[in-house]
Amino acid sequence: MFFKIAVRNIRAYKKRSIITVILLACTTALLVFATAYMDGSHERMIRSSVEIYPGYVQITHRDFRDSPSLENLIFDAGQVTAALADLPGIAVLTPRYESFVLFAAGNKAVGGMLTGIDPAKEGRVSRLWESRKQGEYLEETDSALVYMGSELARRLKVGVNDEVAFVGTGADYSFSADTLRVKGIFRTGLFDFDNRAAFVAKSYLDRVMGAENYATHFIVLPARPEEAAELAAAIGERLGPEYEAASWRQTMAGLVQAMRVDTIFGYITLGIIFIVIFFVVMIYTMLAVSARLREIGILRAVGTEPGQVWRMLVMESVLLALVSVVAGGLIGGSLAYYFKLHPIVFSGFEEQFKQYGLAMTDMPTAFAPLVIVRDMALMFVLSVAATLYPIHKVNGYRPIEAMHHV
Amino acid sequence: MVFPPRLARADEAAEIIKKVEDNLNGRSAVLKIAMIIKTSRATRTMKMESFSVGSEKSFIKITYPGKDYGITFLKINDAMWQYVPRIEKIIKIPASMMLQSWMGTDFSNDDLVRESSISRDYTAKILSQSDTAYEIELLPQPEAAVVWGKLVMGVAKPELLPQSVRYYDEEGVLVRILEYTEVKRLGDRLYPSRWVMLPQDKEKYGNQTIIEITEATFDVEIDEEYFSKRALQRFSE
Repeated sequence: MFFKIAVRNIRAYKKRSIITVILLACTTALLVFATAYMDGSHERMIRSSVEIYPGYVQITHRDFRDSPSLENLIFDAGQVTAALADLPGIAVLTPRYESFVLFAAGNKAVGGMLTGIDPAKEGRVSRLWESRKQGEYLEETDSALVYMGSELARRLKVGVNDEVAFVGTGADYSFSADTLRVKGIFRTGLFDFDNRAAFVAKSYLDRVMGAENYATHFIVLPARPEEAAELAAAIGERLGPEYEAASWRQTMAGLVQAMRVDTIFGYITLGIIFIVIFFVVMIYTMLAVSARLREIGILRAVGTEPGQVWRMLVMESVLLALVSVVAGGLIGGSLAYYFKLHPIVFSGFEEQFKQYGLAMTDMPTAFAPLVIVRDMALMFVLSVAATLYPIHKVNGYRPIEAMHHV
Repeated sequence: MVFPPRLARADEAAEIIKKVEDNLNGRSAVLKIAMIIKTSRATRTMKMESFSVGSEKSFIKITYPGKDYGITFLKINDAMWQYVPRIEKIIKIPASMMLQSWMGTDFSNDDLVRESSISRDYTAKILSQSDTAYEIELLPQPEAAVVWGKLVMGVAKPELLPQSVRYYDEEGVLVRILEYTEVKRLGDRLYPSRWVMLPQDKEKYGNQTIIEITEATFDVEIDEEYFSKRALQRFSE
């Protein structure tokens, strides 16, 4: 019965109902979309940063991250590979040997990072292969061929097939130098990386640097990237205290921290908006029910219990909230879905993004039905709660007062 | 007394430092050097010949181990070049690389270039003195492009030879200690023949680089040819 009366009342006070629904639906849509955008952009930033080069899980000698010296290399890469061969959850495991060297071509000499990689596996754990701009990517058997960052190549004034010499320190601290030929040039868009990184086949670099079976670190691509932290823990346990396995949350702690701060500020902003909306709904309901005081007084005078009036009014606000939240959820959800497929592009902001080490300008939203339902539920509770005080207030009048209320 | 005593003392300190540098570098010097680099993993030895004029110009040639034979370095004022026979290239060491380790030792490229210009880049003050030694504090001149926040040098009396240099960073943390020991007669003078660099930072603590001066001749004429870029390749053989 209350349902019927509530529906009838809602239809009778059309203007009030429509305004309430629009207000609540827009707010719900805003919340759903804002959450989707925040989650989506963070996810995108993390994936972009992690997948370009650092990788989801890094294995190093236990002291290497604190002091990345030649004393703290992995001196038995074969053993690490063997120990992890049957650990579930690892999609790809690949060693790298990073070395700081001086590149020289013509009269130009610039410092940079020369890294030995397993080309095939590396192609699966990082964006190196996909970022190729000119020439060819590396092959395992390549000797003295280098795959170089575009900015580094530009500074050295070399192109594909040109010669570049490098001078560095071998794993035994001896002098190591050789002349390389540029096989390919890549551009990830990450300026700092393109500006200093160059890659050669690890088998070749191992020979030149006296680093056979050594690695500065291993990169692991988890079968399920979202479980990187658990996998890192499992790897750490398997390898023992000699080694350290860190997920991107540790290796990229700065970025993770930045995301967290950004999320907090996002929620603070949304929170302020919701406090405003809460009071708007409350005041509006107050006005709406006050305008109906006479009606309520008459209802009471003909014998309706205060509890029945209360139930009727709450039912109205529940129905309105439900309609609004569903409508808002659908609108917000569709926007989230649309912008997931067609990411928002911030062209012209490349420089700002680069400062944060991000090589992209498109921000897809996240489309997570559960999160959307959570936001809808939150909005529902909030909008019903906002009407409780006004309803309570009008119920406090005695019938005779209410009827005479103008 | 025209100058107040404090100023005279500062002058005295500067005077001592200048003397120390002259004693170490001479007007010119030809040295044969062995460098022993000890890390927790290995010990290795390098040998080299060094030709220098004052503190401005020097030429170094690696003579041992065989695989590094003929690598040459040229330093003129603050610039540094190297020649590597394997790649047949003369490379100017860029400014950004100057703080990198020199051939894997505990010395940096910057040390080779800067070490001898202490009197130019730092203001000296005598901290204390005993009958046998001075302790001198060296603070960088405001405009000097140096990496250290402070140096404290021990100087032996009366020869005015360095005993030790303690290097502090800008936060005042001791980063490394260089000790000059085994003073003996080399060429025309008494000279510390063994220099030991002891890094104090966590990363390298326990490593050391020892420089042994095995032969030395001071104040002889050195062919100007050595101090040109051509020399890098020419004297590499």
